[in-house]
Amino acid sequence: MNNTTKKKADPAIFFSAVVVLCIYAAVFIAEQTIAPTSMLFTVLKKGATYALVAVSMNLLNGFTGIFSLGQAGFMLIGAYTFGIFTIPAAQRINVYQYYNGGIVQFSLPWFVAMLLAGLMAAFFAFLIGLPVLRLKSDYLAIASLGFAEIIRAVFQWDKLGVITNGSNMLNNYPTFNDFNIRNASGKVTVYLSTLVPFIIAGVCIGVIILLINSTYGRALKAIRDDEIAAEAMGIRLASHKRLAFCISSFFAGVGGAMLAMYQTTVQAKSFTTAMTYEILLIVVIGGIGSVTGSCLSSFLFVACSEWWLRFLDQKQVIGTFQVPMLRNGFRLVVFSVIIMIVVLFFRQGIMGTKELPDLFRSQHKKEKEAQGK
Amino acid sequence: MSTENVLHIEHLTMRFGGVVAVNDLSMDINQGEIVALIGPNGAGKTTAFNMVTGVYQPTEGKIFLHGQDITGRRPDEITKLGVARTFQNIRLFSSMTVFENVLTARHLRRTSNFLSATFRLNTAEEKKMRQETEDLLKEVGLSDVKDEKATSLPYGKQRLLEIARALSTQPKLILLDEPAAGMNPQETEELGAFIRQIKDKFHLTVFLIEHHMNLVMDISDRIYVIDFGKQIAEGTPAEVQNNPAVIAAYLGVDEEDEEAGKA
Repeated sequence: MNNTTKKKADPAIFFSAVVVLCIYAAVFIAEQTIAPTSMLFTVLKKGATYALVAVSMNLLNGFTGIFSLGQAGFMLIGAYTFGIFTIPAAQRINVYQYYNGGIVQFSLPWFVAMLLAGLMAAFFAFLIGLPVLRLKSDYLAIASLGFAEIIRAVFQWDKLGVITNGSNMLNNYPTFNDFNIRNASGKVTVYLSTLVPFIIAGVCIGVIILLINSTYGRALKAIRDDEIAAEAMGIRLASHKRLAFCISSFFAGVGGAMLAMYQTTVQAKSFTTAMTYEILLIVVIGGIGSVTGSCLSSFLFVACSEWWLRFLDQKQVIGTFQVPMLRNGFRLVVFSVIIMIVVLFFRQGIMGTKELPDLFRSQHKKEKEAQGK
Repeated sequence: MSTENVLHIEHLTMRFGGVVAVNDLSMDINQGEIVALIGPNGAGKTTAFNMVTGVYQPTEGKIFLHGQDITGRRPDEITKLGVARTFQNIRLFSSMTVFENVLTARHLRRTSNFLSATFRLNTAEEKKMRQETEDLLKEVGLSDVKDEKATSLPYGKQRLLEIARALSTQPKLILLDEPAAGMNPQETEELGAFIRQIKDKFHLTVFLIEHHMNLVMDISDRIYVIDFGKQIAEGTPAEVQNNPAVIAAYLGVDEEDEEAGKA
């Protein structure tokens, strides 16, 4: 997803672009050949969604140095905005069965609703940011966490039911499976339900990378490195922090919309603090300040929690030996231990602050050095 | 004083609780001058700098830049008006290279907004920023280390980089807070020549705090001396050097001498 920066043709960036394209091609091919019920696609879809949200969180925590824990709140706003505006008008009476079909009686195309989801999250971020961004470090974290909790409660409020459907779920809106191209008889001819989320996340992450490498991105990094020096260099702290907060929330909102499409239903109570922590964990494991790291660790995280460790939840027999302790929930114990080991031994996360092109560069350098010797 | 006044400070006072860090400081700096502010440790020199650059709001008094009242303005606004500074304890952007440090200081002269910058509609401006940064680094002699991490530079070069970064904001007045701290005599001498050189090159006015008296006496046009926040002397290096109050502040005074002085 590193398709950016505009220096003279840098081979490392070219290689990175090739790698990213190969990944997309592989996803497309896998989707056409492997059964759509495979866990692989669950992981890829959720992984792409989480990657976007993790990168958006990294923009704030890793690149601007603002420690915010409101991500789940902004995802919730995004998911609801998407759901509310895309449920087909005919279905609304069923979805909003306790609220006479709700007050929104039209529906928007999915990409418009997705954009709106981001804008709505950014708008809330703007409002929340006015008081919250004056706070420093842990106070800001607590305030943003509190905001996410309040949002979660407000969206379940009965009085807002005509819009949010109260504590009932939203469903029947477009999902990832609707991206599959079907023929007249309803049979799927081209599977796109994984590729499209990949493209959405890729485009969004690409935009974030462009921002990070622009003059604004440099200003944000300056604020992270040294607020006092940044301000002395003429960077207005308040407006730049607000900018980062709103942009991060915009993409968290889009990520929320993607999560809604992935889950096929939206319910406010699922956007818990634990979700923010999961994303924070992804950011930390991937490397604070590395977009590549966030993407990589998001897929690893989702794969571990949803797929690769599943066998630990069931009885396993090797030969005649029944492995002890394996029962429902044991997976989470092992998962926690793995995370602790990663954090202990990879203090900087998997990637540190390196990006995909840096990997090619360092190799390049080593080769040069080897030749020199 | 025929030349244009750049910085005019009037009865500036800063109190932290009961402590008076700067007490009724007044001074004038004219276009093209190198003016030093000296005084023993804790005299309030850096506090005065912090008020001029907007980090602190003065308790009393006013600060004028080119006749414009800038008292109480934000640091970034003051920088935009053409006042740049360096820090006593080096404050470089530690994750960035030398080049990026200087480039980042160009951000305030941007005309692009975040959207046009993100979607690369400002390539001409970005190119210009990079070229100017390149030129500036050449000017100050940091071209050969431009891709190195700022914090990996030797101490003296980090100081130099701080000055380069400050210059990158295109200032008219530059405030140097102990630029020679930690430098050996030879480096200090080079720094003196360097300050003169950039002053002429960029048409600057220089306001500096420094403890290296050789440097101060060598390059300053005028010197202000403060002690316990109060101005005790002002004048050319020669005048200040022979001022009894200054000698007293630096070397301490025997009570006898003091009485003799009064008499």
